[in-house]
Amino acid sequence: MPARLRALIDRIAPMPGGPSLPVWPWTVRAFHWSLVLCVAVAAATGFLGGMSALSLHLAAGIAIPVLILLRIGVGLFGPGYARFDSFPPSPRAALEHLENIRGGRHERHLGHNPAGALMVYAMLAVLLLIVLTGTAALAGMFRQGPFRSFIGFDTGWLIYGLHQPLAWLLVAMIAAHLWGVWFESRRGHENLVAAMIHGRKAADPPAPPPPRRRAMPWLAAGSGIGAVGVLTLIVLRASAAPASGLPPAKLDHTYAEQCGSCHTPYSPVLAPASVWRQLMGDLRHHFGEDASLGDPALHQRILGYLLANSAEHADTLVSHMMMRRDPADPMRITATRFWQFMHGGIPARVFARKKVGGRSNCDACHRDAQSGRFLPENIEIPESAE
Amino acid sequence: MKLPIRLSVTLLLAGSLAAGAAAAATPDFAAARAAILAHYAAAAHKADPNFKAFSAAAGRSFFLAHPAGARPATPSCSYCHTTDPRNQGRTRAGKTILPMAISRTPSRFTKLSKVRLWFRRNCQSVYRRACTAQEKGNYITFMASQ
Ligand code: HEC
Ligand code: HEC
Ligand code: HEC
Repeated sequence: MPARLRALIDRIAPMPGGPSLPVWPWTVRAFHWSLVLCVAVAAATGFLGGMSALSLHLAAGIAIPVLILLRIGVGLFGPGYARFDSFPPSPRAALEHLENIRGGRHERHLGHNPAGALMVYAMLAVLLLIVLTGTAALAGMFRQGPFRSFIGFDTGWLIYGLHQPLAWLLVAMIAAHLWGVWFESRRGHENLVAAMIHGRKAADPPAPPPPRRRAMPWLAAGSGIGAVGVLTLIVLRASAAPASGLPPAKLDHTYAEQCGSCHTPYSPVLAPASVWRQLMGDLRHHFGEDASLGDPALHQRILGYLLANSAEHADTLVSHMMMRRDPADPMRITATRFWQFMHGGIPARVFARKKVGGRSNCDACHRDAQSGRFLPENIEIPESAE
Repeated sequence: MKLPIRLSVTLLLAGSLAAGAAAAATPDFAAARAAILAHYAAAAHKADPNFKAFSAAAGRSFFLAHPAGARPATPSCSYCHTTDPRNQGRTRAGKTILPMAISRTPSRFTKLSKVRLWFRRNCQSVYRRACTAQEKGNYITFMASQ
């Protein structure tokens, strides 16, 4: 490591004066700070970002279980204080520890203290629950991810209702964890944050040693990496499984030609059958223009196509939300509450850009508009003012 | 040096194929357009036995005119197709329209059903009536001259 960097780390995380002992191996420290980064990214994109931040949110959400699996390998087969059996989850021991603090009895723990240990397990469990509920929501809303073939919109939406409360719970737990670190640092006159950076703690006052079990580095790494590999294969396979409830991937050629000459041809999933029937009922007065087809057979064919693929026939976030029309203006997709909510943050001047061509021109920003999917990963607003 | 040679042969082949296709397609377009013009000429003659020929100049003023009774959203043909038919146009919903001028879009006015459909729609919107066969022929003749 370059001397300058070394000096910088020493400034941020000063070593304990006097003799010190190694406590946190690099694996635990790397896990801890990577997890902090991933949770920070997931929280920032989840609480503050919109749909277009979903890709980053998912990346963080994928990294979290990977990190946890690797940590489990180290926890089962790693060295000293990294091992789970050096900090078993025990509510009784945790209560005892709190009692000791209340009674002013100071007992030193080089590794996690029993209360901290319980919090560590609880946080990991809540994190995994957040990942699972998010994965279910992804399946229900966008028909993506490993649950896509068996979780529909209703179930996914219901489970999504747990995702955010769990995230708030995690925020509260992180706050409690930080408070505990601060409290114990003050009580024991040591810098626990620095210890999680350089890994060492002062040898005095003496504390009980870690369980004397031999570390098995190859097994620790192998089991963690193996578990990640197996999970990856399962997730990849399940994410490629066919899903029901998707709108037609490609538009009917005749429909796209006839209804795509004045504006982008809208996927039939963007309106319920009643709206398509009403819209097709008066094409002579179509938003101020004559859009009539002048050929009854053609008209019938397009109407049939729209009705056979309307919002009722799909099972995604878009299809469900597009059923909820504005009673004052049911024909407009852009008048639905959902559309307005999703695009409320986009300034009018962006829609006015020549390359965008107005609100109704979904294709300009949604690369997959014609498939009716509207996946967040396919959103890209054309740049340049003109 | 194998790859570049192969590549150039492929390009040459592709190029000549494309040129062949274009050469084959262009006369087809011209013939189809002539048939459509002949169709309108016959109709114009039937409506007015004194009809002689279509006029590009009349087509031009028809294209640029702002008729009094037009629907407010569509005041003139040039509103969407722009005043220079060699330009790309733009619909009210923001979609670009390929130029009307045949020099720019050789496939224009080559499918009777399409030509009929759009004359019916756009004449209703702008002129609030069906256009006459003479107006339609003038329009196409003007676009062919551009
Ligand atoms: C002659 C041109 C024309 C044709 C052909 C046409 N439309 Fe439209 N359509 C319009 C215009 C203009 C609007 C209003 C756009 C605006 O205000 O931005 C519109 C709007 C719409 C909207 C509402 C979009 C929104 O902003 O929410 C739908 C849905 C729609 N059209 C469906 C169809 C269907 C289905 C067909 C085929 C049968 C069709 N259109 C053919 C001109 C056309
Ligand atoms: C100016 C570009 C732009 C246009 C035009 C546009 N959108 Fe969007 N749309 C966005 C952006 C950006 C978001 C994400 C907003 C956010 O981050 O929360 C979005 C979000 C959405 C979403 C929800 C998220 C998702 O990916 O499913 C839907 C559905 C959607 N748009 C549909 C439409 C439809 C239908 C149209 C056309 C009638 C349209 N949009 C036109 C930019 C656009
Ligand atoms: C509201 C916009 C708008 C107005 C106004 C308008 N057009 Fe068009 N026109 C279109 C669109 C859109 C198309 C079809 C797109 C395409 O073919 O590229 C079209 C196509 C046509 C076509 C068919 C061309 C072909 O390739 O066969 C003709 C003919 C035509 N217009 C004539 C007129 C005439 C005549 C007027 C004025 C009376 C007019 N248009 C006014 C939008 C308009």
